[in-house]
Amino acid sequence: MFLSLKNLVKIFPPRGGSTEVLAVNDISLEITKGEMVTLLGPSGCGKTTTLRLIAGFEFPTQGSISLDGQRINELPPHQRNMSMVFQSYAIFPHLNVFENIAYGLNVQHLAQSEIKRRVGKVMALVELEGLEKRAPNQLSGGQQQRVALSRALVMEPKVLLMDEPLSNLDAKLREQMRTEIRRIQQTLGITSVYVTHDQIEAMTLSDRVVIMNHGIIEQVAPPQEVYRYPRSRFVADFIGRANFVTGVVKGIEKGILSLEALGQRLHVPQEEERYALDRPITLVVRPEMVRLHEQGGTYTATVRQAAYLGDRIDYQVEIEGQLLDVVESDPTRSARIYPAGTKVGASFYESCIHLLPGE
Amino acid sequence: MKEKSLATKKTGPLKQILQRRYREFVLIAQDPVLFISLMLCSIFLLVFIFYPIFQTISNGFFNPTGQFDLTYFIRFFDDYYGPQARLVFRNTMTMGLLTAFGGTFLGFIFAYTLVRCDIPGRRWVHILALLPTVSPPFALSLSTILLFGRNGLITRKVLGMSFPVGSNDIYGMDGLVAVQVITFFSAAYLMLRAMLERLDPAMEEAAASMGAGRFHIFRTVTLPLLIPGIGGSILLLFVESLADLGNPLFISGNVMVLSAQIFLAISGEYNYQKASTLALVLLIPTLIVFLVQRYYVSRRSYISVTGKPTGGQHKESNPWIRWTFIGVTYLACLLVVTLYLGIIVGSFSTAWGADFTPTLMWWRLMVTRGIEAILDTTFLSVLATPIAVLIGMVVAFLVVRKKFSGKDVLDFGSNLGGAIPGTILGIGFVLAFSTPPMLIVILLYLVLSIFLVRSLFDKPREQLIVLALGSVLGIGLSFLDGPLGLRGLYYLLGGLSIALGLYFHWGRELKQRGQLLLLLGGYFFAYDLSDYLAMPIATLSRTISGGFWSNAIYQFATYIKVPFQLPPIFLATGLIFGGIFFVKPEKDNWRLALAIGALAIPCALTFTDAPLALVGSPFIIIAAYAVRSLPASVRAGIAALQQIDPTIEEASSILGADAQYTFRKVTLPLILPALLSGLIFSFTRHMTSVSAIIFLVNARWRIVTAAILSEWEQGGISIAAAYSTTIIIFVLIAIGLLYFVTNKLLKDQGSVDITIGA
Repeated sequence: MFLSLKNLVKIFPPRGGSTEVLAVNDISLEITKGEMVTLLGPSGCGKTTTLRLIAGFEFPTQGSISLDGQRINELPPHQRNMSMVFQSYAIFPHLNVFENIAYGLNVQHLAQSEIKRRVGKVMALVELEGLEKRAPNQLSGGQQQRVALSRALVMEPKVLLMDEPLSNLDAKLREQMRTEIRRIQQTLGITSVYVTHDQIEAMTLSDRVVIMNHGIIEQVAPPQEVYRYPRSRFVADFIGRANFVTGVVKGIEKGILSLEALGQRLHVPQEEERYALDRPITLVVRPEMVRLHEQGGTYTATVRQAAYLGDRIDYQVEIEGQLLDVVESDPTRSARIYPAGTKVGASFYESCIHLLPGE
Repeated sequence: MKEKSLATKKTGPLKQILQRRYREFVLIAQDPVLFISLMLCSIFLLVFIFYPIFQTISNGFFNPTGQFDLTYFIRFFDDYYGPQARLVFRNTMTMGLLTAFGGTFLGFIFAYTLVRCDIPGRRWVHILALLPTVSPPFALSLSTILLFGRNGLITRKVLGMSFPVGSNDIYGMDGLVAVQVITFFSAAYLMLRAMLERLDPAMEEAAASMGAGRFHIFRTVTLPLLIPGIGGSILLLFVESLADLGNPLFISGNVMVLSAQIFLAISGEYNYQKASTLALVLLIPTLIVFLVQRYYVSRRSYISVTGKPTGGQHKESNPWIRWTFIGVTYLACLLVVTLYLGIIVGSFSTAWGADFTPTLMWWRLMVTRGIEAILDTTFLSVLATPIAVLIGMVVAFLVVRKKFSGKDVLDFGSNLGGAIPGTILGIGFVLAFSTPPMLIVILLYLVLSIFLVRSLFDKPREQLIVLALGSVLGIGLSFLDGPLGLRGLYYLLGGLSIALGLYFHWGRELKQRGQLLLLLGGYFFAYDLSDYLAMPIATLSRTISGGFWSNAIYQFATYIKVPFQLPPIFLATGLIFGGIFFVKPEKDNWRLALAIGALAIPCALTFTDAPLALVGSPFIIIAAYAVRSLPASVRAGIAALQQIDPTIEEASSILGADAQYTFRKVTLPLILPALLSGLIFSFTRHMTSVSAIIFLVNARWRIVTAAILSEWEQGGISIAAAYSTTIIIFVLIAIGLLYFVTNKLLKDQGSVDITIGA
C-alpha cells in the first residue's frame, strides 16, 4: 500500500480545565497510489485530526503511519514530501501570488528558471495566468483558493492533503472548483486525501469515501456502495436521507428474505445469510424508494406534509403511526400533489431496500 | 451503534495531575530552543519581578534588626499618627478617583469628537492627544507651575494675579488632579476610541428604526455598549494616578499622597520599613483594581476588540452637539500645546518669573554638566530595549501558541511588573539586590545545573557524578577569587578555555568548536582588558577642557566596559545553555569530562564575587527598565501573533521549510510591525520612567528624570525644563524613526492585511 495508517490513536492532553480528548480511536486505512480518498463525517469526528496526523502536525499517541513502505511517524512535516491545502488557504499575506506558489520550490533552492517554469505550468493548470504580481488581498475568494491549490500542486507531492478547501466559497463557485479539483487530481494522478463534512463533495470527488464518527471509521467504500449498502445506521443517516423501519424476519428462501414490517409482509432480496428467523431487523428505506398511489399499494398512508420543490415533491406520510419521508421525482407522477390529510396508498421498491441487523 | 468512542477520562487525583503536568513539560522540552526561552523568561520573572515584590511586601513586617514588627501598620489606627496617616490614604483615594473620572471624561470627549464629529485637523488632534504619553511624567506639572503657578507666566504676567499666603494657588489637590487628568487622559482616549470605532452602527440603526430619538439611543444603546470600555478606562486611570510619583512631588503642595510619602520615607528618612509598609498599603488597591480589570471587566466586553473596525460610522448630525464637542476638544488641545510650549520657553528664560530674557545658558549648562545623565539614560534605555522586547515576544509566543500549565503565571507575572507602582518595584530592587540574595542564587544554580545534567545524561548515576564533581570543582574555583581577585579568576578561566580551545582546534581538528572556546577565553580576558582600553579614552577626555566633549568621551569610556563586565552570574546562565549544545556531540569519557567542566565554570561564576548584588551597577537600572516596559512588548506581541493564523506557519512547514526557515521567512516579517512598535514603546517607557529607578541611581549612573527632580528641588526650574524638552525630543526622534522604518519596510509589501489568513 502506498499510504497506510495502522491502528492510529490520538489522545489530546487535557488543557485548561477540560479532560483528555480521544480524537482518533484506533483507525486503520490503506490508500493506493493515485487514489482520491475523502474523510467524511460530522464535526468532531476526528477527520481533521487524522489528516493532521498524516501531515505531521500532530504525532500519533499509538499506531503507525507509513508512506511508500517507510514508517514516517516521527518525521516532521517538512520532511514528508506532502503538501496541503488549508481551509483558511493560509496564503502568506506578505508575498505575492508568484512568491506564494514558488515558496516551497525556493526552500529547495531550485534554479530560478526551473522555478519559473514549474510555477508557470501550475498557474496555467489552475487558470491563474497574469496574476503573478498580485498581492493576496487583491484576490477574490476563488482566486485565493486556486493560489492555495497551486502552491500545493507545484511541489509535485507524494500525497496531496486537503482540509475542507471549498468551505469558504459560495455555492456556485464551490461546485465549479469541485469539478476542477477532480479534473486536476485525475490529470496528475496525484494521491489525495480530502477532508470534508459535505457529503455531496465526498460523493462527487472521491474514489472511496471514509465515513468517520466519534474517532472511528464507520465505513470505507466507493460512493455508490456507501449510499446503497450503508454498514451502519449512522452511515445510512449521514449519507442522504433515510427512513428506518423495524421489521421481523419471517422466512428465508433462495436469497429472498420474507419479513414483516409495519404490519405487512415484504420480500427483500438478500445475498448475505446472517439473518436468523424471528429476529428483529432494520430496513433502510430511502425517501425515493417509496411510491405513493391514489389507490392500492401495500400500505395505507396519510399525508402529513407536502412541499413542492419544482423538480420533486417532498412528502411526509404516516404509516401505522410511523412518519416517513417520501420524495416523488417522477415527472409523470409529480404533476399531481396530494395535500396534507389525504389518504393514499403506499408501497416500497422492495428490491432496493437495504437491511441492517438489529433494531 | 457504538458509543465507546470519544471516551474522556475524568480529572484524577493529585498523582495523575502531576503526571499530566510532567507530560506537558516533556512536550515543550522536545524543542530545546523553546524550552530554554521558557526557562530564561521564568528566571527573569522570578528574579526581577516576583522576588523584589515579595521583598517589598515582607520588609514592612520586620524592623531593621529582623524582628517581627507592625509599628507602621498600627500607625494607621492609633490616635497620634492615625489621623495624618488616614488623611494621606484618603487623599490618595480622592486623587485616584477624581483623576480616573476626569481623565475618562476628557478621553471620551476626544474619542467621540474624533470618531463621530468630523473635527477639522483630525490627525493633529490625535497626535496632540498622544503627546502626554511620550513625555516624562512630571513635564506637565513643571509647565503648569511655570504657566499657572504663583509666579506663572499666565497667572502673574498675563492676568496680573498675586497669591498672598493662604490663597488658593495651583499647588494642592486641584492642581494635582488637573495635571494628572491631562497626563493620563490619552490612555482613556485610545481605549474608548477603539471601542467607538468597533461599535456596530447597525445596533444604533436598529434603535432608530424603532423610533428612538438621538439622545435616547445614546443613553440606552451607545452608552451601555461602551460601559466596559469606560469601566476599564476608569480602573486603568485610577491605578496610573495612584502610581504616579512625579506629579505629586512637584505640584501637590501640602497635600500628601502615598506615592510621595513612600519616596520621602526613603530619600528623607532612609526608613525602608516604613516605605515598605506604605508600599503595601498602596499595592493593595492597585492589585485589586489590576485583578478586577484583568479577570472581570475585560471579559464582559460586548464589543470584540479584535475584529476590523466596522465600516460607516454615524456622524453627529446635530450641529450644537457636534460643535460643543469640537470646542471642548480644541480647548483641551490648546491647553496641551500651551503647556508644552511652556516647557520649551521655560528652558530658554533667564530667570522664570522675574526675567524672561531669552538665553541659551540653561541648555549650555545641560549639555556640559548634564550631558552625563542624558547619555547614561539613553545608553541604558537602548540596552534595555531589546531585552524587554525579546522577553516580551517570547512570552507572547508561549502564551499564544503553546499549551502548558503555568502559562497564566507567565502572562500575569510579565504584566505585574509594569502594572504596580514603580516605587514598589524600586524599593524591592534595593532590598533584594543590595546584598547577595543567596537563596535565589542557590535556587537558580540548582535549576540550571539539574537542567544541564538532565539534558546531557540519561543515567541517574552519571547525572549525579557530573552534578557533584562539577559543583565541588566550581565552588572550589570560586574561592580563588580571594587570593587571585575576581580579575585573576577571569584570567584563569580564560586561560583554561584558550588552552582547551587550542587543543580542540589543532589537536582534535574540531575547528569550529575550538574557535568558540578561543572566543570565550578572549571574552574572559576582556573583563580586565577592557579597563585598559577604557583608561586611555578616559585620560584623553581629561585633557580636553571641561565641557560637552570631555564629559561625553569620559562616559563613552565607561560604556565600553559594560558589555565585557557583565555580572558573573549572568554570564554563568548563558554558559550553562551554551555548554549543553557544546557538550552534546561528544561521547563517553569526553562527554563526562567536558560536562563537568561545563558545569564547573558556570558554578564558579555563579558563586564568585557577590552574586546578584546589583545595586550601584548599570544592570539593575537596565533590569528595572525592562520590567517596566515588559507589558507593552507582551501586548504588542500577543496582538500580532493572534492575528496570524497558525496554519500560515503550518503551510510553510508542509511546503518543506524547517522551523528556522519558517520563522525567518514567515513569522518574523508578519510580526515585524509589532516588534518595531514594541521597541519604540519600550524605549519611550525607559526614557520617561522615574518612579522605578529613582532609588537605583547613583553617582556613577545618572538618570535624566532623577536629575530633573534634583534640579527642581534646588530651584533650577529652567534647566529642569531643558532636560524635559530633551527627553521629549529624543522620544519623538525615536517615534519618527519608527514611522520612517515601518513605511520603508512595509512599502514593498503594500498595506499588509495580517488577518487575511484567518
